Amino acid sequence: MFEVHGRASRIGLQLLATLMILPFLAPLVFGVQGSLGGLGLGNYAKVFNTGIVPTVFTNSAIVSVCTIAIVYACTMLAAFGFSKLRILGREVWFWALLAALTVPEAVILTPLFVVASNFDLYDELLAVILPLAALQVPFTVLVARNFFDGIPNEIMEAARVDGANDAQVFWSVVLPLTLPITAVIIVFTLISSWNSYLLPMLMLTDQSKQVVTLLPSFFTSQYTNDQTGVLAAAVITAVPEVLVYLAFQKYFERGLAAGALK
Amino acid sequence: MSTAPAHETLGRPVSATGRPKGRSSPLGARLRGVPWILPAIVLVIGLIYFPIGYLGYASTLDWNGFILSTPTSIGDANYAKMFGDPVFWNALWHTVLFYLITFSVQTFIGFTFAGVMHSRIRLANAYKTIVFIPVVLAPATMAPVFRQVFDQFGQFNWLLSNIGLGSLTRPWLADPTTAMPVVMFITVWEWTGLTFILYYAAMSQLNPEILEAARVDGASSFRVLRSIVWPMCKGTTAALAVLGLIGALKTFDIPYLVTHGGPNHATEFLGTYIYYVMAQQKHFGYAATLAIALLVLAVAGGVLLRTNTSRSEKG
Repeated sequence: MFEVHGRASRIGLQLLATLMILPFLAPLVFGVQGSLGGLGLGNYAKVFNTGIVPTVFTNSAIVSVCTIAIVYACTMLAAFGFSKLRILGREVWFWALLAALTVPEAVILTPLFVVASNFDLYDELLAVILPLAALQVPFTVLVARNFFDGIPNEIMEAARVDGANDAQVFWSVVLPLTLPITAVIIVFTLISSWNSYLLPMLMLTDQSKQVVTLLPSFFTSQYTNDQTGVLAAAVITAVPEVLVYLAFQKYFERGLAAGALK
Repeated sequence: MSTAPAHETLGRPVSATGRPKGRSSPLGARLRGVPWILPAIVLVIGLIYFPIGYLGYASTLDWNGFILSTPTSIGDANYAKMFGDPVFWNALWHTVLFYLITFSVQTFIGFTFAGVMHSRIRLANAYKTIVFIPVVLAPATMAPVFRQVFDQFGQFNWLLSNIGLGSLTRPWLADPTTAMPVVMFITVWEWTGLTFILYYAAMSQLNPEILEAARVDGASSFRVLRSIVWPMCKGTTAALAVLGLIGALKTFDIPYLVTHGGPNHATEFLGTYIYYVMAQQKHFGYAATLAIALLVLAVAGGVLLRTNTSRSEKG
């Protein structure tokens, strides 16, 4: 966009870009730096010695994988139904889903809390997985239906003429075409479930059931004022996220961008 | 088959004899897609609609949330309380202010950075990655870092003292006038990467010939960016504006984890206030009432989103 002629303006533009990213970089550097204060790497040892690190990562992985599986299955089936099959009052159902698109977690907090405390659903990962999936599904169905609408009906008519039923058409004709939208659904659901804090904080009080986002606050409550340990805990939870992002950078950026514009 | 209208569904080929539609499709055929949408519908009704219905009932109660204690029905007293509650109005005002400022700043930085990144820059990929990393990191992960950075003895004050602005140092999070700007800063830090990626993608779609023509006419780079590129990215800006509004209503993690809504409700949002009323004050009826208010605002935001999307689809 910026035309640069000559060395001076090129350096100037480079300088501007560098100045712009510094505030984004600084907190990351400060976090790592702070986690190494005092005992240095000993802070990390302290976090690992609590023995909870493998637990929270396992639980987060379970929550994310299950949420993604539920969201993916519900979304693909619903998008196919809405886009390609006859449904009495189809648009009414669709709008009923869409109306839930913008419901914030905090809205369903009170009812979930009451249900969980009275039916003893505390400390069940499912109590986090199901609400997370329900909050995600309206969005993913919207995005997926738009995508399914773009798949020409003629492709399916051919399979139908050969005697395939709905399930066979879905499985062997439509599903193989949905790779791009699958990436969007997985990225979106992964980020929202792995990063979720409010629902796990509310539902998972037992140590053995906690997830990665609760690790820093777990550490705060166990070792008051141990700032370096808390930062080490934060870095430990951040590193895998950054690595996964770097490994799948293209999918993350495209997936988030495509989802945001729908 | 080529004459069949595009919207005609799979299972129901157009009847050659042209019988009335109702006759040609028995109820079974018209329900054939229902099993496919059922899982999604059940999930959303069970975990969103049912809780919302329950909210409506709970908002008329004076209740501490435990099944053994009997709730008292108090009609619309909770709503009356809400409309007279200064903390509620403050939370609402904070949301508006927060939205206007974070959206403007994110747009400005994201758009400018996208323009810069479309120029010849060394290490461009590294720069883009750094700006986008905050988007994928959990707010809960970064909250302790920001608490440290803006602490009385944190890096931000250290930085200020070292560049001769020592008089500005203060405990940023404990001061009611600066806590909100810090919450906004963290939000901008977190989400500008997404704004940037969207503008960057939009700018890749622009016709280079138009930009070239403007330059031939002697327009400066800034002028091109402001008068040509910016108007052409209008659709992206509109989408981001609605996205930001919904995001502002959903705000919880950052103010809760960094300032706990304080000091003295200075960074209270609707989400954090609902949680506070529910978990600290054990006033479930009132929390439900606040949740209804939040729901109304969120649905209004959603309607805005839909009208916005359909308009951009048309034009």
